[in-house]
Amino acid sequence: MMTTTSTSSYAAKEYKSDLKPIWCPGCGDFGVVQAIYRALAAVGRPPHEIAFVSGIGCSSRIPGYTTAYGFNSVHGRALPIAQGIKLARPDLLVLVAGGDGDGFSIGGGHVAHAIRRNVDLTYIVMDNQIYGLTKGQLSPTSTKGLKTVSSPHGSIEDPVNPLMYVLGYGARFVAQGTPADMNGLADLIEAGLRYPGFAFINVQSPCITYGRVEAQLKAYKAAMRPLDTASRPAGAAEKRSSWTVGHDPTDRLQAMKLAAEYGRTLYTGIFYKDSAPEPTYEALAGERARSLTASGSSRAEILKIFALR
Amino acid sequence: MTNDLVLGVAGAGGDGVISAGEALMTAAARDGYRAMMTKSYGSQIRGGESSFRLRLSTEPLWNIGGSLDVAVALNWDDFLRFGAELPVGGRTTVIYDSASGIAIDDLPLAGVSPQEAIAVPLSEIAREHAGTGKAKNTVVLGLLAGWLGLPRDSLLAGLRKRFAKKSPDVTEGNERAFAAGIAFAEAHPLRSTRRLEPPQPPMVPRLLTDGNDMCAAAAIFAGCSFFGGYPITPSTEIMQFLSRELWRYGGTVLQAEDEIAGIGAVVGASFAGRKAMTATSGPGMSLKSEILGLATIAELPLVCVNVQRGGPSTGIPTKSEQADLFQAAFSAHGDAVRPVIAPTSVADIFGTTVDAFNIAEQYQTPVILLSDAEIAQRKEVVDPIDTTVFTLVERRVPNDRELEHYMRFQITESGVSPISHPGMEGGNYLASGIEHAESGAPTASGVMHARMNEKRIEKLAPLKSRRDLFTIEGDPAAPLAIVSWGSVAGVAREAANLARREGIRVKILIPRLLYPISEEIFGEFFASVRAGLVIEQSHQGQLYRIMRMFVDVPRGLESLARSGSNPITPAEVLDRLRAMVTTLQSVRVPEPEPPPG
Repeated sequence: MMTTTSTSSYAAKEYKSDLKPIWCPGCGDFGVVQAIYRALAAVGRPPHEIAFVSGIGCSSRIPGYTTAYGFNSVHGRALPIAQGIKLARPDLLVLVAGGDGDGFSIGGGHVAHAIRRNVDLTYIVMDNQIYGLTKGQLSPTSTKGLKTVSSPHGSIEDPVNPLMYVLGYGARFVAQGTPADMNGLADLIEAGLRYPGFAFINVQSPCITYGRVEAQLKAYKAAMRPLDTASRPAGAAEKRSSWTVGHDPTDRLQAMKLAAEYGRTLYTGIFYKDSAPEPTYEALAGERARSLTASGSSRAEILKIFALR
Repeated sequence: MTNDLVLGVAGAGGDGVISAGEALMTAAARDGYRAMMTKSYGSQIRGGESSFRLRLSTEPLWNIGGSLDVAVALNWDDFLRFGAELPVGGRTTVIYDSASGIAIDDLPLAGVSPQEAIAVPLSEIAREHAGTGKAKNTVVLGLLAGWLGLPRDSLLAGLRKRFAKKSPDVTEGNERAFAAGIAFAEAHPLRSTRRLEPPQPPMVPRLLTDGNDMCAAAAIFAGCSFFGGYPITPSTEIMQFLSRELWRYGGTVLQAEDEIAGIGAVVGASFAGRKAMTATSGPGMSLKSEILGLATIAELPLVCVNVQRGGPSTGIPTKSEQADLFQAAFSAHGDAVRPVIAPTSVADIFGTTVDAFNIAEQYQTPVILLSDAEIAQRKEVVDPIDTTVFTLVERRVPNDRELEHYMRFQITESGVSPISHPGMEGGNYLASGIEHAESGAPTASGVMHARMNEKRIEKLAPLKSRRDLFTIEGDPAAPLAIVSWGSVAGVAREAANLARREGIRVKILIPRLLYPISEEIFGEFFASVRAGLVIEQSHQGQLYRIMRMFVDVPRGLESLARSGSNPITPAEVLDRLRAMVTTLQSVRVPEPEPPPG
């Protein structure tokens, strides 16, 4: 389905609403929302043509801080709601956001299906490895051994690896960023928004109140290893800086190797991007509807289908 | 001659019982009979016993009837497995396969002596004329054509159509088996009167369908353009029908990964401006509860069909029950009121579904359409429906002036606020499950919370005065009353008619709006009533209890309620009414009131 993409005439601040965020001062999510404003301005769709859906959690407050049509729904169900919106109105730009609990615990079952349907959504998970809104319990991405109010003796579970999870289900666009690198994050979100299919962006967005010391912006800034995904002529790899990591984002297995480092090495950038995207669900659905509506059936005459003759 | 006949046939899987029933119904319906059919199966996915009940009449039908007039047992073991669904009584004609070796005076009917029993060499006739015992069902069709006087040409045409893809041998064999059945019937006339009066052919073609397909068709008529759902017995056919048809009208169908995602996508589509529906049964309703609450607080229209089956939990998935009324009315947390409406028949589910969409769009609320397996799975001949009488309601969208300073949840006199959708410039707002101010901004203000609760509940008040959502029949001053709903209302209605024919002064109320309860309409109805029955298929008698929460019911009002899969019959209701008359001495009609003064 063709979408009408107007050239950018919106400044980043035009995507910012008047609502004051409830987040704690220093929360990583401030950086994420700034990156979203920038990415939206780069893409340039007017706010009323954007739907921004979230679940429940600190990060799920984010749609309200934009001027888009927002939907702060219920815990874990942002993806099904967003799919309903996109299928109903394929012309809209649809973003989905939430936390790691929303996406990989209570709503984890929906992620696989959003991926395999390949609905054109950009799903941003603000992964802080903790339940912040309920004041500091274990989350699905919390590290093993972590002591929290709900695991006073330490966690005895392995964390979910969101990147492996989505790559394993065949996601066609997978990236990871952090507000410790605002420019990089805005670029990744923009790339996700422009990707014609389901795009997943894991954002290491620290919880300043309940997060670990080593999971804060300063630490992330020092630890992050950007993926250098620019294509270069063969033999030119040595020109890369020692800080960045060369990566071919069309190689799913290589992407999985990097993803396996989740929790140990903070790679940022595009892990995987299908260079030959398949048609989206809504494109196929639209084709079907167009071919079947050609017969010109009238709703008023539907009962003829049951007529005894 | 008779003008009304209830037939029940049962056999083993592979006996072709269901296809014989379909053939019989279609042929009779084509010739102008009113007909209703329910099918029943053992719990096996394939094979196992199967049966159908078919009621044929020259008059409009309200229910599938009670005790069988004609019972056909291709195999006694299978027949008896259906128990109360195929009740044989003292006025039943029993036909069975003599190959069973069971003597006529030794039928396995637990002390019931049927009016007449005939052992027919079904298997033998089938083998002799069609070369295979498989044609037993065709022999039965011939027998019934002969004994009941059913239209042979239509039946034969149906047979030919059914076997059109088989080899000529098969078709000819079945035609011979059919003729042999007729010949047997003619050679062995019944003692009992089972021959049906010829029907009046209708002027306009009637319809033949079941409740699920009718519900789905009504959704298309009402303007539904998005369906999200998950397979679950006995509602799945709604999704299947729409998966086939909705696309032709520019709509989209999503078979979701689970019940929650199904209604989640419906909420999304509604937020995006579409009329949207989901359909499920009890377990799915439990899963959808949270998102139904979201639709209530975000004031998003949607229709959620619950085709009730036996519960709790998995319960009896294939059998009808009316035990989800409490859930429909009360399963939301918080002060959430949402309309619950129930159809009463296959014909009625058309208009009730249209009403559900109209109410949802007008009041920006989820509406629960409380169907049941009996209506959903029952095939019925339906009189032509004049669709021009329906007005389709579209949600109230903001105009240009309202979009200048748009407030999505503006407090208005009616409680309904104009609703924008993505794509409308100036209509941008935050929909949320969190309590919000008029603008949509989240709030924890107690004052605002109270005002919003009042808005969301009071906007539904006009529904309670919608008299078209209530059917009331009989003498308005009658001291005796029946209240019933859903498919069971058809049983109650027939019983009320029978009672009135005996001179019993009884009136009947059939609410299609079950929640919120209309204090006004129930109150008025009960004003003259001293005794009565609330008839429903649940153990607790859920409507009876909900009514008592909101309405001062007469002291003599009793509950006639029973768990699903234990059918309530018109005859039984009539017996209860007679007993009530005896207690209420004064309710017989004849004595005129003394003149005033």
